[in-house]
Amino acid sequence: MCWRVLFRLVVVSTLIGCMHTAAAQKVAVEEFTLPNGMQFLLVPRSDQPNVVSAGWVARVGSVNERPGITGISHFFEHMMFKGTNTIGTRNPDKDRTFRVEQKKVRDQMNQLVLNEQYERFRNGEIDDPWDPVNDTPRLKSLRTKLDTLIRAQQGRGKAGPATATIVKDEFDQVYTKAGGSGMNAFTSYDLTCYFITVPSNKLELWAWMESDRLNDSVFREFYSERNVVHEERRLRTDSTPTGRFQEQFNSMFWASCGYSWPVIGWPSDLNSYTFEQAQVYWNTYYRPGNLFGVVVGDFDPKQVKKYIKQYFSRLDPGKNKLPPVVTLEVEQMAEQRMKALGDFPPTIEVRYHTVPAGHRDSYPLDMLAEVLNERTGRLYTSMVEGRGIAATASAGSDTRKYAGLFSFDAMTRGDATPEQLEQAWYEELVKLQTEKLPERELRKVKNRVAASNYRRLENNMSLLIQLAFSEALLDWEEINDGPAKYESVTAEDIQRVAKKYFDETNRSVAIYRRDTEQVAEKGAGK
Amino acid sequence: MNYLVLKNTVCAHLMSGIFAMNLFCATPVSAIPPRPEAIEFQKLEFTPPRATDFRRMLSDGTVVFVAESHEFPLIKLSITFKGGDSLDPESTPGLASVMARMVREGGAGDMKPGMFDETLDFLATEVSVSAGNTFTTARMNSLSDNFDESLNLFVNMLRKPAFDKQRLEVAKARLLESLKQRNDNASSILAREWKAMLYGRTHFEASQPTASSVEAIRREQLQTIHQKIIHPGNMIVAVSGDFAIEEILEKLTKAFSGWEPGAVAASPETPKAVLVPGLYHVQKDIPQGKVVLGKRGIVRDDPDAIPLLLLNEILGAGGFTSRLMQKVRSNEGLAYSVRSILSQRVDYPGAFQATFESKNPTVALATKIVLGEIALIRDQPVSDAEIEVAKQGLIETFPRQFESKPATLQVFVNDEWTNRPKDYWRTFREKVSSVTKEDLLRVAQKHLDPSQMAILVVGNWEAIAPGDLEGRATMKDFFGGDVKHLPLRDPLTLDPLPLD
Repeated sequence: MCWRVLFRLVVVSTLIGCMHTAAAQKVAVEEFTLPNGMQFLLVPRSDQPNVVSAGWVARVGSVNERPGITGISHFFEHMMFKGTNTIGTRNPDKDRTFRVEQKKVRDQMNQLVLNEQYERFRNGEIDDPWDPVNDTPRLKSLRTKLDTLIRAQQGRGKAGPATATIVKDEFDQVYTKAGGSGMNAFTSYDLTCYFITVPSNKLELWAWMESDRLNDSVFREFYSERNVVHEERRLRTDSTPTGRFQEQFNSMFWASCGYSWPVIGWPSDLNSYTFEQAQVYWNTYYRPGNLFGVVVGDFDPKQVKKYIKQYFSRLDPGKNKLPPVVTLEVEQMAEQRMKALGDFPPTIEVRYHTVPAGHRDSYPLDMLAEVLNERTGRLYTSMVEGRGIAATASAGSDTRKYAGLFSFDAMTRGDATPEQLEQAWYEELVKLQTEKLPERELRKVKNRVAASNYRRLENNMSLLIQLAFSEALLDWEEINDGPAKYESVTAEDIQRVAKKYFDETNRSVAIYRRDTEQVAEKGAGK
Repeated sequence: MNYLVLKNTVCAHLMSGIFAMNLFCATPVSAIPPRPEAIEFQKLEFTPPRATDFRRMLSDGTVVFVAESHEFPLIKLSITFKGGDSLDPESTPGLASVMARMVREGGAGDMKPGMFDETLDFLATEVSVSAGNTFTTARMNSLSDNFDESLNLFVNMLRKPAFDKQRLEVAKARLLESLKQRNDNASSILAREWKAMLYGRTHFEASQPTASSVEAIRREQLQTIHQKIIHPGNMIVAVSGDFAIEEILEKLTKAFSGWEPGAVAASPETPKAVLVPGLYHVQKDIPQGKVVLGKRGIVRDDPDAIPLLLLNEILGAGGFTSRLMQKVRSNEGLAYSVRSILSQRVDYPGAFQATFESKNPTVALATKIVLGEIALIRDQPVSDAEIEVAKQGLIETFPRQFESKPATLQVFVNDEWTNRPKDYWRTFREKVSSVTKEDLLRVAQKHLDPSQMAILVVGNWEAIAPGDLEGRATMKDFFGGDVKHLPLRDPLTLDPLPLD
C-alpha cells in the first residue's frame, strides 16, 4: 500500500508542477477597458457549444452602506429589473409623471413617520412606527393615495388597464423570448453581480439590454417593490429556524466595520430609502469606472468587442468620486458568547477575526480549513467518527475585501452537548498549534485543492462567478495565480497561522439549543 | 498538453494594450437600435445530438454512452441503476438511500473504509452514490491520470461493498439526528404533508423513516437491496472526458468482467391514494404562511404533456414573465417566490401545484389571486403575445439540455431507462410550435380544475385566517373556510401530536 501511495504522490505532484510553471495552462482571459472606464473580461471557449454566460459586476455591496441605508445595494439589485424609458413602459412621459407624484406622496409619508410615528414609538404608544396598523388618519390617507397611484400606473386602478404606463416585467420577457435562461443577480458584502446565459447569436441583445439598463434605469416601482423585499426578508431570515439568531451573531461578531449589518438590510431602513438617496448611490457606484463585464462561452471575441464598444460606450463616467471604505474592524478585547434557544438541533459556531482576501495569511488559513474538512479531514475523523459526539462538523475561511473570519461549526449527536464540541475543537486547535502537519496529509489536501481548481472552471457560469469574485475582491488574475500560492503553503505556515489567529480573546461563540419546553408543551397537548 | 488551455492563448496583459488602441481609435461607433426588436440576429442552427451516435455496448451487454472532451484533464463516470426508494420494504422506508450511502462509506472488499477514503482523497477523486425515488446513481470524477486506479476502487466498491458495522452505526446515528429536525423548518413540514396527501403516507414518494425503523436496519438488509439494484443487469453507464473512446471501453469491460448480472429491478408501484379536495392546515408559529395548492397531474408521455408544459410556463413556471409572478409578487408585493410546478412521473401521474409564501395577514389574498389566475386561464384563451413568448422561450432554450457532454449523456441514459419515444427530441420544437391557444384552453379545462384541488397551509392559523387589513380576502373564501387542521407529527415516531 505504501508503495502505491508514494508512486501516486510523484505523479500527482508532477501534474501540479505543470500547472503553475506552464503559463499556457491558465485561463485565457482577454481584458480590455473602454474609454469611459468600464472594464471587460472575455473568455472564449467552445466546449459548451452555442451558449454564452454573460454578466457584469458593480464593485459595491452592503459594506459600502451606512446606518439608515442598510440594504440599499440589494434593493438596487431589485430595481435594476424594473426597466428604463424604453423597456418596461408604453408611455415614458406619463410613467415619469406617475413616479414624480408617487415620490411627493411618499416623501410626505416618510416625514410623518420619521417625526410623528417615531416619537409615538419612543413614547411607547406604538410598537412599530412603520406598520400600517399604526397609521394616523393623515398617514392612512396618504398611504391610500400612494396605493391608488401605484395601481393606476400598473393599470389596476378604478379606470382599469387604460391608465397603465407599465409593461410588466418586460425586461424578463425580452430575454425569455430570445432564449435567455438563468437570468438573475446577487448582492453580497462586497459586490453586486447580474448575469444570464444566452444563445451565442444573442450577444448583441445582451449588450443592448444591459447597457440600456445601466444607462437609463428609472427605478420604476421604487415604493411597491420594497414589499417584495420585506417578504424576501421574512422568507430568508424571519421564518427560518436560525435566521434571526445568525443575524444577531453576525452583528455581535463585527464591532465596527461594514460587515455588521445584513446584506438584506434592517427592516426600518428598507422602509425609509428616498429617491434622492437612490440617485446619489446610482451616480456614485453604478458608473462605468466602478463596473466590469464578464463574458464566458462560445463566441467570437472580435464581434463581441464590437458590440461592447457600440453599446457600453454610451455610459456616462459621471462626476462623483468613490467614497473609500474607511472604518476598520477594531481589535476584539474579550471573548463574546451568545446562547440561543429555538427550533433547531444543538449546534455550536466559533468564529475568529482573521484577514482580508489576498492577505498572505489567507492562503494558509484556507488550507487549514481544508485540512479540517471533508470525510478524511480532522473534524470528521475525530468528532463524527472517532468520538461520535458530532453529527456534522466543518470549518470555513471566509476572506472578504476588507476583513475576514474563520469559523468552526458542528452539530451534536446523541447526548453530546455543544460545550463538548467546543472543547473538542479547542483540542484540535492545540494539535495544529503544537504539532507540524505531516507531509502526506498536506500533500493530500493540496491534491484535492488542485483538482478542484479544474472542476470549478468547467462550467461557464461557474467560471463567470469565480472571475467576478476574483476581480471584485482582488484581481481576476488571482484565478491563475491562486493555485501556485496554495501549492507553496508549507506545514510551518499552517502552524504559524494556527498559533496567530485562534486566541480566546479573538473568538466569538454561539451556542444553539433546542427549546425543549416548547416541544414538551406541544407533546402534552398544551 | 491539452489541459486548462483555451485555444490560441496569448498573454492577456499584452493583448489589453493592443485592443485598446485598435478598437478605440479606428472604427466609428455604430448607431444603437431604438429597441431590442430592431436587432437582426444570425440564425443559429442546432440539431439535437442522436443517442445512437454515443451509444455503445460492452461484450457483457452493458450499455455505455460515451463522449470525449479534452478541455480539462478530468474523466466523469456515472452509472445509473434502476430502482431506488421505490424498492424499499414497507417496514423500512429509506433503505435504498441508506444502502447507497453505505456503499460509499462502508469500505470495499478487504479495504477498510478509512483506507478506502484516504486513497480516493489522495488521488483527488470524487465518488458519490445516492438513491432517488426510482433510480440509484453512482458517480466518479477523477483526474484522467488517476482514472485507472480510481476505476478499480470505484467498481470494487460497487461490487463488494463491505458495509462496515461501525460505519453503519455512525450513519444511523447521523440519520437520527436529521430526523429530529423534521419540524424545525416550515417548508419541510409543507413538503412532507403535501406528498402524503398526494400519494398516500405509505407510498414510497411520501413514506418516511422513523427512529425505530432506522434503528432496526441490519447489514443483511443492505446486502439484500444491494443485490437487487447494484449489478450489470440493471445499469446504464455514461462516461465523458479526457480519454480515447476505444481505450475507455476496454477499461470498462475489464473492470466489469466477472460481475454477475441479475434481473432488471421492478418498476415503481402506482400510488393508490386519492387526493381529497379541501382546505388543510398545519400549525407552526412563524410570521409567514407557506402555501401549496394543486392536484394530481398527468404522466410524462401523456399526449397533453407539451401543451400543458406551455400553459404552465404562462401561468407560473416562466419566472417574472409568468402570470402568478406578475400578479402576486410584482403587482401586489405579496410574496418573494411564487410559482407553479408540473412534476413529471413516468409510471403514474405526477402533480400540478402552485407554491408561495406570504406574511400571515396576506396568505388568504395571495391564495385568492393564485386561484383566480387558475380560473382565468381555464376561462379565457391566453393572449397571442403570451403563447408566442412561451413557445419562443422553450424553443430557444432547447439546446441547453445538451449544453455539456455529461448533461447530454444523462439525457440519453434517462431516455433509455424510461423508453422515451425515439423521435422525442428531434421533433420537440415542431411539437411546441404547433400548439395553439385553443389547445391550451382545452388542457387547462381538462387538467386544472380548481374544484379538484387541495390547499395546504403551514403557519400560524390565528394570524392567517382573518385575512388582510383592507378585507380583500379571508380564509373563509376557500371551501367555506371549512379547514381541516392536520396534526404536527412527532419527529421521531411520526405519530400525530395532539392538536392545540
